Amino acid sequence: MRLKKLVMGAGIAALSASMVACGGAPAMAPSVSASPPGQPYGGGGAAAAPMATPASVQLYSTQSEASDSSERDAPDAKVADNTPAPVAPNRPPPPPPNAAQPKPPPVAQDAPHVISMLIYTATLNLAVFQVTEQMDKVESIGRAIGGYLAVRNDTQITIRVPRERFDEALGQIEKLGDVLHRSVTAEDVTDQFMDLEVRLKNARAVRDQLQALLAKAGVKDALEIEKELGRVTESIEVMEGKLKLLRDKIAFSTITVTFQPVETQTVRDTTLPFPWLQELGLSSLLNVH
Amino acid sequence: MNRRFLLAAFALSALGATACGRPFDVKTAPGFIELDDQAPSYDYRAMTPEGVVMGVRALDVDDKGDLAFWARAITLRFRQANGYALVGTSDVESRDKTAGKELDFGHDESGKPYTYRVRLFRSQNRLFIAEAGGTKEQMERYKDTIDWMLSSVRVKCGSFLYPELASHTCNKW
Repeated sequence: MRLKKLVMGAGIAALSASMVACGGAPAMAPSVSASPPGQPYGGGGAAAAPMATPASVQLYSTQSEASDSSERDAPDAKVADNTPAPVAPNRPPPPPPNAAQPKPPPVAQDAPHVISMLIYTATLNLAVFQVTEQMDKVESIGRAIGGYLAVRNDTQITIRVPRERFDEALGQIEKLGDVLHRSVTAEDVTDQFMDLEVRLKNARAVRDQLQALLAKAGVKDALEIEKELGRVTESIEVMEGKLKLLRDKIAFSTITVTFQPVETQTVRDTTLPFPWLQELGLSSLLNVH
Repeated sequence: MNRRFLLAAFALSALGATACGRPFDVKTAPGFIELDDQAPSYDYRAMTPEGVVMGVRALDVDDKGDLAFWARAITLRFRQANGYALVGTSDVESRDKTAGKELDFGHDESGKPYTYRVRLFRSQNRLFIAEAGGTKEQMERYKDTIDWMLSSVRVKCGSFLYPELASHTCNKW
């Protein structure tokens, strides 16, 4: 009975901690203090290992900075430019307060850039000319700058490139042919990332507590504890998977190049009402009779 | 004697102009043959045994749109709707010194790269479109010939006493 209460108590405590943490960054502190001594911050010891590239490391290390909501909410000039964030320098010490001189109003450009968890995705529509040759070149560009081929079919190729070389790759690909359409998006997943980390850390703490209880429990209670332990372990694995996926998406930007016309309703709407204009082209010229 | 000669010349010229029926002039280079009965899509079309085709259309557009307008319209049409690559553009002149625009496109057809060249001229309240197209390989092979044919296009109404009267008098008489 006492064990049941303990199990329930631990679960409720973890749940409430997660809920508080999901609400914003300030909950980070209680979560950290709730960790058992010796556990790495955020449970990130093992999970952070795949973050081998310097950019990834920087991203991870700036999480605490990103937890400052005022900074996170500040306009991000890099997002507006659709360019990846540079590697952040160490934050300079705050200037001494000077009451005599009023502070200048904050300007977006002056605000220190916070490395956010940004997932960059670019989509390019290139004209349909020498497609195979151009696809080979796109693939080569991807490999040359440390990326890899993700998908390739007759009309489309997707490569993934290191985030810090995203702009470089995009520039090189744009030079390959006639770019009909270009779209670059930056998705900020900072909240999602932090939320997952906190929930993972708490779940690990619950798992540790359950394991400790299991060691002391009798046969009857052990069954219930094991059941709960299994559930917690499963949720830990799911969260670890999601975190790994997010890290991968952040570390490697995705560039998709499609070789086909921009088929939009807009084109049809803006077509000039001259039938001969539709008849022009290679198929008409070469179809002799 | 002089009177007879003039009358004969006039009659021949009138006959030629009526028979031709084209408000422009274009020369068919050796290696090409002119195809008959290409109307209504084309006013002139010629091709090589390898399938390189050169065509000319004269379209009545009255005073609607200048050269830049039609060049832009055609570029948009090919790039946005058909996925053609605009490989290059250049300012050109017809043989009678009418300013024109050349648009060079590239496009894959059945996985093979094709080249498509379009020259636009604005004259006689018409838009003249001279086109040449074929596989990239053959177009490169026939480049000089195609350049010569495209440059041979005349789009202005000829004068009565011009030596090549028949083919470019715009059928005004």
